[in-house]
Amino acid sequence: MFTRVKSAVVSFMGGIMAGSSGLEHVNGSDLPVRFSYTRPEFLGLSPDEIECSADHIARPILILKETQRLPWSTGYAEVINAGKSTHNEDQASCEVVFVKKKSGVQSTPNKNSSSKRRSSLPNAEGLQLKDNQEVDGITFHYWALFDGHAGAGAAVVASKLLHHHIAEQIPDIIDILKNSAVLPPTCLGEEPESTSSNSRTLTRAASLRGGSGAPGSPSTPPTRFFTEKKIPHECLVIGALENAFKEMDLRIERERSTYSISGGCTALIVVYLLGKLYVANAGDSRAIIIRNGEIIPMSSEFTPETERQRLQYLAFLQPHLLGNEFTHLEFPRRVQRKEVGKMMLYRDFNMTGWAYKTIEENDLKFPLIYGEGKKARVMATIGVTRGLGDHDLKVHDSNIYIKPFLSSVPEVRVYDLVQHEHSADDVLVLATDGLWDVLFNEEVLEAVTSFLANCDPDDPHRYTLAAQDLVMRARGVLKDRGWRISNDRLGSGDDISVYVIPLEHGNRVS
Amino acid sequence: MAYAYLFKYIIIGDTGVGKSCLLLQFTDKRFQPVHDLTIGVEFGARMITIDGKQIKLQIWDTAGQESFRSITRSYYRGAAGALLVYDITRRDTFNHLTTWLEDARQHSNSNMVIMLIANKSDLESRREVKKEEGEAFAREHGLIFMETSAKTASNVEEAFINTAKEIYEKIQEGVFDINNEANGIKIGPQHSTPGSPGSHLGGQQAGGGCC
Repeated sequence: MFTRVKSAVVSFMGGIMAGSSGLEHVNGSDLPVRFSYTRPEFLGLSPDEIECSADHIARPILILKETQRLPWSTGYAEVINAGKSTHNEDQASCEVVFVKKKSGVQSTPNKNSSSKRRSSLPNAEGLQLKDNQEVDGITFHYWALFDGHAGAGAAVVASKLLHHHIAEQIPDIIDILKNSAVLPPTCLGEEPESTSSNSRTLTRAASLRGGSGAPGSPSTPPTRFFTEKKIPHECLVIGALENAFKEMDLRIERERSTYSISGGCTALIVVYLLGKLYVANAGDSRAIIIRNGEIIPMSSEFTPETERQRLQYLAFLQPHLLGNEFTHLEFPRRVQRKEVGKMMLYRDFNMTGWAYKTIEENDLKFPLIYGEGKKARVMATIGVTRGLGDHDLKVHDSNIYIKPFLSSVPEVRVYDLVQHEHSADDVLVLATDGLWDVLFNEEVLEAVTSFLANCDPDDPHRYTLAAQDLVMRARGVLKDRGWRISNDRLGSGDDISVYVIPLEHGNRVS
Repeated sequence: MAYAYLFKYIIIGDTGVGKSCLLLQFTDKRFQPVHDLTIGVEFGARMITIDGKQIKLQIWDTAGQESFRSITRSYYRGAAGALLVYDITRRDTFNHLTTWLEDARQHSNSNMVIMLIANKSDLESRREVKKEEGEAFAREHGLIFMETSAKTASNVEEAFINTAKEIYEKIQEGVFDINNEANGIKIGPQHSTPGSPGSHLGGQQAGGGCC
């Protein structure tokens, strides 16, 4: 990710950046780091092993050795980049978090308690324990991938803290979420009265209508003078996740005054709660479900290209954010001075198509969004438009901040796990862009399907081995002309991280 | 800890010959009779002293199973030394040495020092491969040879350290280009002048704290 930033800045400004720390000193490097650089806790690596793994020449694929460390026999594998940054700037975390009702939040922050909880939860043996606990709280499963750029700081911080922010959003809504028969009350204070008078009818009505009531149906209490939106339970979870992302980003912004938190990161997380999977994505990582040999996309990417209109509109409304250096209009190529006065194709925030306009002086400025595909950049600086951190990121050699154009808002998609039967080969694949840059969804489907089919169904390592296989396919083999994958295509020189999460466990747990 | 040089090793050979046990014996000085199958790559590290110099050995322990062969092959690159291991109680592991050696020679740098290790020397009663056979194979292919026991620790230190000595001698003779990281050798921070490529690498190596 960083090279993308760096090379673009260099090519645009003609400047020279000094290594991967180039952007870190903006906020002063004398501050202590919030968390020191590390690899995912569940890999259980010693400092020596972390040092060994940071080999840009052999690029060892690290895998999850103890499968019981992660819930649902989740598989995981990762590999470092081919030399673009000293560290692997991807981060991952996975937790089973118990949230206590009202009185407070009990998550699994420290090693001792978390390892106990993890080993006892995912299987049937743990279910008993879980049921007892569930009376005064709720448990969610959490998987996360972060892809850092311009330093590993933000990714490490997010990997350590984001699940706590999710847990913080939950206590107030535990009872509401658990009471699936009654739609969430619009106003919390009114809850007792309405339940006492019509809880029974509401419950029956809700179950008859499958939870999404039609206003004016016979059993609805006829006391309302205005229409009222019915908010389903899952929307409260979506809201909780969205707010958790916002809080995480604000926290990074706040803590910058005390700590050095370098760079920014994308965030792709999965939360399993009450039978549903919630996939929240801010960035260019991707999640797909592979079910019965078919692909179900669970996220979309947020890049200068996919978010062009949002960015252009913001620049149109707030032109000062462009620092008089950029134009919010898009042209098929850079406009040359001699073309002023001519008619040229362009598009503005309101357009997906193209039209002609007369070129003016202002159109000679560098375009807000420039480049195609993976090379597209916002203000020649960054190739991903949602995520966490980046508060100090500026256009090279200028005072123009990038952050206003970046969003920490995730897109959340919901998958109702209990609505479907899953076989042992049905999985959710999460991976950073290192994988998806070089492999199509169909290739990932093909690879996973054929790998798992040839794997002992009882092998506890099968999902980790499938993840390792995917990383290997995307990294490829170092030949004379660089890293190569099948059909002599270029392999990924980026950090690559992959989760393979089997879905049948979700059915069992519920 | 500061080191003069860092050597990268790789341990290869059929599954079950004792690669992981050799590594554990060398790094932790203990033997684990039942060891999980290595399914990817695992790492170990230890500091040794040669010629009064601190040398850090970074050891990659690979999966021996055929199904992981393509992944294992990709780890030869950038190794200064290889321990090619067979099990004296299983002749087939000896018979496969030629394949392993071809693999290693093809995918590593040409100066890589290869030590042939005949492991499980404590199981004399079940021996299927004579010591002389191992010695002959080593002589024929220009390898160093040693019989070891990861269980009793016999010759384990020697195997790792003699390999390092051989690499060290090659450095002294100027055979290795120590500034090329692809040779599996890195120079420690105190060995180079500030600003040279060596100090850059050494600094990154020793740091590991943050970024």
